[in-house]
Amino acid sequence: MRLETRKLLDRSFTGSGILAIVLMAAALIVLLAPMFIRGAGAIVFTATVEHRRLMLERFDRGNRPQLEAEIEAARKAREPVYRMLADFEQFFATTVPETRRQYEKPFREFKKAVQTLLGPIPGAPRPMLMRDQYGQTRWDRAQVKLSRALYREEWDYSDPTRSGIMRLKPRSADFIGTPLEPLFPYLEKNIDGMLIPRRTVYWQFLTDTSFDSHFFGGIWPEILGTFYLTVGAMLFALPLGLIAAIYLTEYARETRFIEMLRTCISTLAGVPSIVFGLFGLAFFINTLKVSSSKSVLAGAMTLALMILPTVIRAAEEAIRAVPATYKEAALSLGAGRWHAVRTIILPAALPGILTGIVISMGRAAGETAPIIFTAAVSVGKPLALWQVFTQATPALSWNIYNLATEHEAVDEIRHVQYGLVLILVSLVLILNLAAIFLRARISKRLRG
Amino acid sequence: MKRFIAGTLAAVVMGGGLVLAKDVNKIVVDGSTTVGPITKAFAEYYMGKRPEVNITVSESGSGNGAKSLINAACDVATMSRPMKNSEMKAAQDAGVLPIEHIVAMDGIAMVVHPGNPIEDLTIGQIRSIYTGAIRNWKDLGGPDRPIVIISRDTNSGTYECFETLVMNKQKMTDKTEYVGSNGAIRQRVMSTQGAIGYVGLAFREGVKALKVNGMEATPETVLAKTYPIARPLYMYTNGRPAQDSPLYNFVNLYDTPEGKKIVEDTGFVPLK
Repeated sequence: MRLETRKLLDRSFTGSGILAIVLMAAALIVLLAPMFIRGAGAIVFTATVEHRRLMLERFDRGNRPQLEAEIEAARKAREPVYRMLADFEQFFATTVPETRRQYEKPFREFKKAVQTLLGPIPGAPRPMLMRDQYGQTRWDRAQVKLSRALYREEWDYSDPTRSGIMRLKPRSADFIGTPLEPLFPYLEKNIDGMLIPRRTVYWQFLTDTSFDSHFFGGIWPEILGTFYLTVGAMLFALPLGLIAAIYLTEYARETRFIEMLRTCISTLAGVPSIVFGLFGLAFFINTLKVSSSKSVLAGAMTLALMILPTVIRAAEEAIRAVPATYKEAALSLGAGRWHAVRTIILPAALPGILTGIVISMGRAAGETAPIIFTAAVSVGKPLALWQVFTQATPALSWNIYNLATEHEAVDEIRHVQYGLVLILVSLVLILNLAAIFLRARISKRLRG
Repeated sequence: MKRFIAGTLAAVVMGGGLVLAKDVNKIVVDGSTTVGPITKAFAEYYMGKRPEVNITVSESGSGNGAKSLINAACDVATMSRPMKNSEMKAAQDAGVLPIEHIVAMDGIAMVVHPGNPIEDLTIGQIRSIYTGAIRNWKDLGGPDRPIVIISRDTNSGTYECFETLVMNKQKMTDKTEYVGSNGAIRQRVMSTQGAIGYVGLAFREGVKALKVNGMEATPETVLAKTYPIARPLYMYTNGRPAQDSPLYNFVNLYDTPEGKKIVEDTGFVPLK
């Protein structure tokens, strides 16, 4: 091949390499940026006075006199709303039955919309569900609810051969000439005064338990659950994996059996995680009965099984990468085999082993399928350390799935879901960065 | 290293010991996604009153709830259908005695995209849709659009109720799309113009619930069973829970005024 051709090929290869990296970086940004931006919305958002009332009543957070003054101000701004509602109810009670029938449904719907927006009407019995005890705590949701109070969706089915067309009809049109008519412009104009939106950093999102199945509060049970599961998985996988790797590299003779064992380990690494999940349910819970029901213990064991092949592989590679001369030198100085492994080989292999372990921790933290049947629940309290042996826990990965599909009010609590995703992705990122950092540090120390 | 392994072993043994001591302050609930909103609200309410109790709720489907109860892996199985004879038999063989508690009434709502002009279907029409005999909304007086059939998976209690009350032992068409929860049906139907699905009453937000045989699903029609696809929702326990134990109080919450209000507020129908 001519020199020019070779140079050209070389250059085009470099070019495509750079292009690939740029594309990958772009993909990463496209993927991660919305996650971080939306996820941050769970913590930094414009909160209404309802959010501050909730914080004050449930956690005693904030400056009480100042907040009470603010709540009072909001109450004052809402007074005309409730007065007009009461006026209408009186009009409704005294009017002729035909008019009553005409107004009954629109009024019921409108009153409900107002309650959703501002919280329960003063004097009414306290609702049982927390979601009905407070108005909208987030300004973005409040605006959606305001528009639902002002307009109703109406589907035009006049052409039966086509799908209906949605039109927004102002509700005020339903109440022309009634005491309710002035309420609509009032709502629209005074929403700021009634809800007092203010930029808030709700960092306690990370440390609060959730209320009323994630309608309010934070995600502490999920964070703690994921932490327990990941660390637990490590506690099982690390000793087993390390011992297996030492045996396979230092002690085992290359027999057919060992070769088969290696193949098995590699195969295990490729088994889909849901299979591990079902195995965990059948083996740990139904057969061994490590716990009477789902528990963190059973989940951690299942996750440990799943990451075991990766840990063994990483440790094996790291041990193999230690120059044979180290071991030979140790043995020639009279060290026994175990002594050499313990004092020479393991320390030298440590960076590689640790990297493998931390990366598999990231995998354990993010997996959903293995814990569906063994450890994860949609609602539960944060667990104390001794409860992990018997009790199940919410976990980040599972609850993201649960909130995205099973929850009855997905649209109301999207921000919680985004927050969960942000924390999980950050956790995995941090673990991977920690792996890189650890590796660099230890190998520097070993060299130096 | 040695200490580490010893520690791990000790932890496992200790865990085993803890399992043997039954904790009355721990209630494990597993089962129906339909009953999920009630269960979660009950759990929240009860834990608010008794903070030392931890109630965990999983929503994995009625079938899984029954299996869990039979394997003694849960204290309460929530189900949106009664337990089958085969399950009762399996429970007896495993030494479990399922006791039924009816906590609420529910109607199975037939839901379509809000843009769908259809208002009313008969049971026969619904069956024809699900068997694949009617494939286009045009045949029902609607727009010319193929029907996308959404159903719950076979593990679901809502599926089994639908099968008995609507399908009359006929097989669903192969084109049926099976999804894993009520919430998933709701979202699928909300985002698909030609879709039809069925959900519990608490999952009607954002979709259009049809009249069935001319009846709308309201608390009255569901209680009177004039709404043709109404059914009770259940909680099953292993034997009768001891009087005034947390478990007893939890499964009997439905019979208190507060419990009835919760059932109503989550969108279901409390028992009279």
